[in-house]
Amino acid sequence: MSWLPASAPGTTSLDRVFGLRPELYEQYREFAELFWRLRVVDPVLLELCRLRVAALLGCARELELRRPEAAGAGLGEKKIAALDDWRRSSVFSPVERACLAFAEKFVLEPHGLSDEDAAAVSAHLSAAEMVAFTEALALFDGFARFQILLGVAPEPAPDARVQQ
Amino acid sequence: MASKARVAPPPVKGTDPLAGSVLAHQPELLDAFLRLYGTLWSRGVLDHVTKEIARIRNARITGCNYCRNVRFAEARRQGLSEEMVTLVDEGFGESQLSERHKAAIRYADAFLIDPHGLREPLRAELLRHFSPAEMVELTAGLALFMGFSKIAVVLGQEPETMPTTVVPTPDVPG
Repeated sequence: MSWLPASAPGTTSLDRVFGLRPELYEQYREFAELFWRLRVVDPVLLELCRLRVAALLGCARELELRRPEAAGAGLGEKKIAALDDWRRSSVFSPVERACLAFAEKFVLEPHGLSDEDAAAVSAHLSAAEMVAFTEALALFDGFARFQILLGVAPEPAPDARVQQ
Repeated sequence: MASKARVAPPPVKGTDPLAGSVLAHQPELLDAFLRLYGTLWSRGVLDHVTKEIARIRNARITGCNYCRNVRFAEARRQGLSEEMVTLVDEGFGESQLSERHKAAIRYADAFLIDPHGLREPLRAELLRHFSPAEMVELTAGLALFMGFSKIAVVLGQEPETMPTTVVPTPDVPG
């Protein structure tokens, strides 16, 4: 439960907190949805990184959500379950491994990201894709923390788990 | 550390620090970001001085040289002096900053360093100084300040040296 002594109308726990600043929430959603709608970066790759960022930060709500775009592109629960130990798993492609390593450094120690870490990603992604990828990481990292800080809890009903 | 820029500048490099940055590689994302960031800064409920203090605290902790040296004009106009900016550092707790601004810095530190570490009495203190809507805006601001300063760091876009530079406060474009 959020510790804020007010809540906005809405169907999800994020609506009820972020909706306290409706114009800001609307602009956030429009920006965040673009990454899935434009498909500049493969939705499976994005979803794997979103879930890995949520796991590193311990954001329960983001960990329970699933993007339909990634499921539609073939991402299943078995591969998602392998994320916890992705370095030793054989189910991730070279580009997925490079992006997961990049995402972890982004969250935990951005100054520790080496030229080799960056080159491993840019071997697979163009400059424009790399920019979109890092912007998506900025939102995953920043707004997982937002949900943790403000106590935005997981949705109670399973059918509420798929993001609009 | 980035030894050099990891993404080349966009084909048409403008003079605006955001619109002329590597973000211009993705025009549709950039437009949406500028609407979001302009709404945060110029269509908000939280005062500019508090938002700027949170932004500067992030710049120092995340270690973004660009963010550290930029100042937004409206926060200056509302009273944020360079003397106050120098206090947003180690020892801020004993400084002349107001209790409201100290609470905002402690909240920024929790956000940046230990997101699960926000407990009482800091929550109660925050609610004495900020409305729920202001808390949402402050937290969304921290998410964007941190996220986009990390982009500058990981893509090797930070200038090595830069003077303190006052720039127009972001607003919703046209």
